Amino acid sequence: MMGLLEAIEASGISTWVRESRSIFAYPMVLTLHTFGLAIIVGSSAVLNLRLLGFGSHIPLKPLKALFPIMWIGFCVNAFSGLLLLARAATTVGISGVFWTKIALIAVSMWVLIRIKHTVFDGEAIDARAIPKGARLLACASILLWAAAITAGRLMAYIGASRPEALIGLVR
Amino acid sequence: MNLPHLHLLLNHVPTVGFGAGLGLFFLALITRDEPLQRQSLRVIVLVALVSIPVYLTGVAAGRLIERLPGVSDIRIRIHGDAALLAFVVMELTGAVAWLALWQARRFRRPLPNTVAAVVLLAVASFGLMARAAYIGGMIRHPEVISPADSEPTETAWLTNASVKALVLDTTSVWPTAETVHFIGLALSFGIVLVLNLRILGVMKSIAFADLHRLLPWGLMGFGVNLVSGMLFFIAIPEQYDTNIAFQWKMLLLTLIGVNLLYFTSAEEPWTTGAGVDAPISAKVFAASAILLWSGVVFFGRMLPYIGGSF
Repeated sequence: MMGLLEAIEASGISTWVRESRSIFAYPMVLTLHTFGLAIIVGSSAVLNLRLLGFGSHIPLKPLKALFPIMWIGFCVNAFSGLLLLARAATTVGISGVFWTKIALIAVSMWVLIRIKHTVFDGEAIDARAIPKGARLLACASILLWAAAITAGRLMAYIGASRPEALIGLVR
Repeated sequence: MNLPHLHLLLNHVPTVGFGAGLGLFFLALITRDEPLQRQSLRVIVLVALVSIPVYLTGVAAGRLIERLPGVSDIRIRIHGDAALLAFVVMELTGAVAWLALWQARRFRRPLPNTVAAVVLLAVASFGLMARAAYIGGMIRHPEVISPADSEPTETAWLTNASVKALVLDTTSVWPTAETVHFIGLALSFGIVLVLNLRILGVMKSIAFADLHRLLPWGLMGFGVNLVSGMLFFIAIPEQYDTNIAFQWKMLLLTLIGVNLLYFTSAEEPWTTGAGVDAPISAKVFAASAILLWSGVVFFGRMLPYIGGSF
């Protein structure tokens, strides 16, 4: 396992993200990761709020268009996330916080897919009441994404080489 | 033009501009003029937004002039603390005034309680701002001090130093505020994205008025980020105010205010019903909203790399 992580970290693309002084290397990858986060967590938040009863006049059917948008956010972050992982594979790859984050994202995605099937499958979506489990799923989705963001942020502070870790050095 | 210059230019807005907004607001209350009331609320929201750069540039101004001969650094500190207190109440006033504008759409007119809260908070903001401005004037204009005046008194609670100590002395505050900042970002970005995609023609079968109900959640995200962001700034202001990425972020944030007011209370988006194509001007506002918010996220994330902040 460690051999594989070392090989990843030594690869060309990994070295470029880590060592290039270009603004398009690490800073841009990190920014892309933030945009992906905003897109998927933000648009799922709108959907979840609606399912919880806020803005209850909003018809559900057109909100189905949010799913492709969420997938765009997911793909951007899978791509940028892989680059960020490759950059420091030997440290991130064995980090408990990192694997917690991955697990949280996996469950979050599973919940989103469940929401899609429970609420949006079939015809006449708006004619029927919101299925029972949907509110629970919406609640879980909000909490899980918040937890995933928390884990992601914590990676910058626990055993990190990121500039944010410098906060300890200021004092 | 440098930061102290900008501070001197902008610092009249919170007192003079807010005074005008408050005057119009009372006039509207007396004459029961609802359109005028909405206009005055817009002025109050905009002044609250401009107060952000006023506060931020003030720190740099203080840093620069405290080295000059004859400048009392105690007065600079007391002015800064008075300004912080005034700023907090001003932002609260701006938030409640925004809520009143939102209610003016949602319920045809603002709820009486909200109007009462705007009155109370606005009077308090104006008094606190005037005090901060007066103490600020004493720093470089001794001629404003009349013989009967005593030295300004220190704020007993909520000072810049106490916030700074809270953020830097407790290790968990910074990471917590960062996490909250990202969650707030996702929330406000999501609401803005969906609202503006609708105006641009995605999810056209939703009436804008229905999505309008979600706006307070967007503003909540904004508020959470203003508070968490101010914690970072007050803790280490010098790493932000001279950072070009931060300056761009703040400029875009102020411009977003105009955009926010448009989608909160303008006629065009509000009347965009289910299945209706929004007018081109609304689409321009929507596209600019997405661009402005993306700019804020971009420059925020770039703080450590374009400048040296973290």
